[in-house]
Amino acid sequence: MQTDTNKTDPFLSDRPIVPPGQPLIVVEDLHKSFGALQVLKGISTTIRKGEVVVVIGPSGGGKSTFLRCLNLLEAPTSGRIWFGGEEIASGGSLQRDGSDLRLSHRARERNLNRYRSDMGMVFQRFNLFPHMTVLDNVTMAPRMIRGVSREAAERKAMELLERVGLPDKAKAYPQQLSGGQMQRIAIARALAMEPRVMLFDEPTSALDPEMVGEVLAVMKELAANHMTMVVVTHEMNFAREVADRVLFLEGGNILEEGPPDEFFAHPKFDRTRDFLGKVKDK
Amino acid sequence: MLAILAQSPAFWSALTDKFYLNFVKNDRWRYLVDGLGITLEVALCAVILGAAIGFVVAVIRTTHDKHGRLRLLNLLCRVYLTVIRGTPMTVQLLIAYFVIFASSKNGTMVAILAFGFNSGAYVAEIIRAGITSIDDGQMEAARSLGLSYVQGLRAVVLPQAIRNVLPALGNEFIVLLKDTSIASFIALRDLSKGGEIIRSQTYDAFMPFLMVAAIYLVLVMIFTRLLSRLERHLHRTGA
Repeated sequence: MQTDTNKTDPFLSDRPIVPPGQPLIVVEDLHKSFGALQVLKGISTTIRKGEVVVVIGPSGGGKSTFLRCLNLLEAPTSGRIWFGGEEIASGGSLQRDGSDLRLSHRARERNLNRYRSDMGMVFQRFNLFPHMTVLDNVTMAPRMIRGVSREAAERKAMELLERVGLPDKAKAYPQQLSGGQMQRIAIARALAMEPRVMLFDEPTSALDPEMVGEVLAVMKELAANHMTMVVVTHEMNFAREVADRVLFLEGGNILEEGPPDEFFAHPKFDRTRDFLGKVKDK
Repeated sequence: MLAILAQSPAFWSALTDKFYLNFVKNDRWRYLVDGLGITLEVALCAVILGAAIGFVVAVIRTTHDKHGRLRLLNLLCRVYLTVIRGTPMTVQLLIAYFVIFASSKNGTMVAILAFGFNSGAYVAEIIRAGITSIDDGQMEAARSLGLSYVQGLRAVVLPQAIRNVLPALGNEFIVLLKDTSIASFIALRDLSKGGEIIRSQTYDAFMPFLMVAAIYLVLVMIFTRLLSRLERHLHRTGA
């Protein structure tokens, strides 16, 4: 693994850079239960640098839980996860809040925050901070965590707002925006930390149909610029066009996976065919 | 009846005589002004102490309820809340003055502590309700960006929680301000005691107590006005 830290950019974390095509996130036999309910029953997969992985499947199949385990918003019950070569979760060593039992409390918190600051997450319900302007939403994390100056953070935020097509909304408050605009701001907020990977949890599911396109366009632009992405979605056309690999999650397992051409043209299982038949018009 | 009285010159001269007797003669107005000073000192210091206690207790309680941490501190907080909310303010004040701080002659300090600890219990429950009202997604978004739990509370959850419960907090301050009138139980010369001293000298209850009531009323009205202005300001800047 390359250890070029490239610390000239204050927005970057000090983690080693993973070259394109190399494993960025490795998941091994991931289990997650909520009480007696088993949601994930042994997921193993590798997400490579620059890869766009789209996760589809019926609701209740564990898609969102899988995604939320990747940045430890949910603590895995058992299994191991590596991120950029570092083991971030191992064999149920994590507490309910995702911190590692084997380390001191402070060390746990520090590690956890470091991993998460390197993984951008976009939520179904946007979760913008309603008491802050758009600009403050985007600049808060780099300023608080990486110690970036206000000027540098705002310059960068304006670039990102430009990139998602909303530079004129910098001084607006979230509740003055449409759903599609909020989601694009949420993407900009996550990008401000220069994450190594972007996790999308049904980013268009809470949107009116006419706003889905603008959010998908931003995501396509990210993919075109080689951002590593894990996307939970019901947008089959997006999966077809953008994904490098499609994961079909059902009953807490990866039932089937493959490149989208193959996956959509020749699904191996009846269950997959059945599901694709139901969502075909999407 | 009153209308007839108001037209009689004898009524007016009796009124001004009483006013002179109760407030002007022997500089008796000083009892009210000095008392007002003590009332404001106790109320303001107690509200700051109460806010600080309430803040800490609310954060401990919600952290425990959501993450199962801080079990011992949470237990202490619950005992504190139960005892304070389960006993009368007057009794707490008497215990503070005659039992806990029996050796202290500083009545003002004892009153501030007693009122502060009492108010803290109510403020804690108000702020806790505010924190619980904030969607979990807010903290998740903060954590997903790499903020620690404490950073997320400070920058994201608490500002929204406080804004949501500002009216309730303002109400709690009004209650506290009026509650300080029982400070005379521990021989503190507050505003209410000032009225009582004048009455004991002039044997007139009407004038001094009505004046005392009017002063409390004006204080509360000024504070209510300030609070609604603050609410409007916060409302303009964001949700």
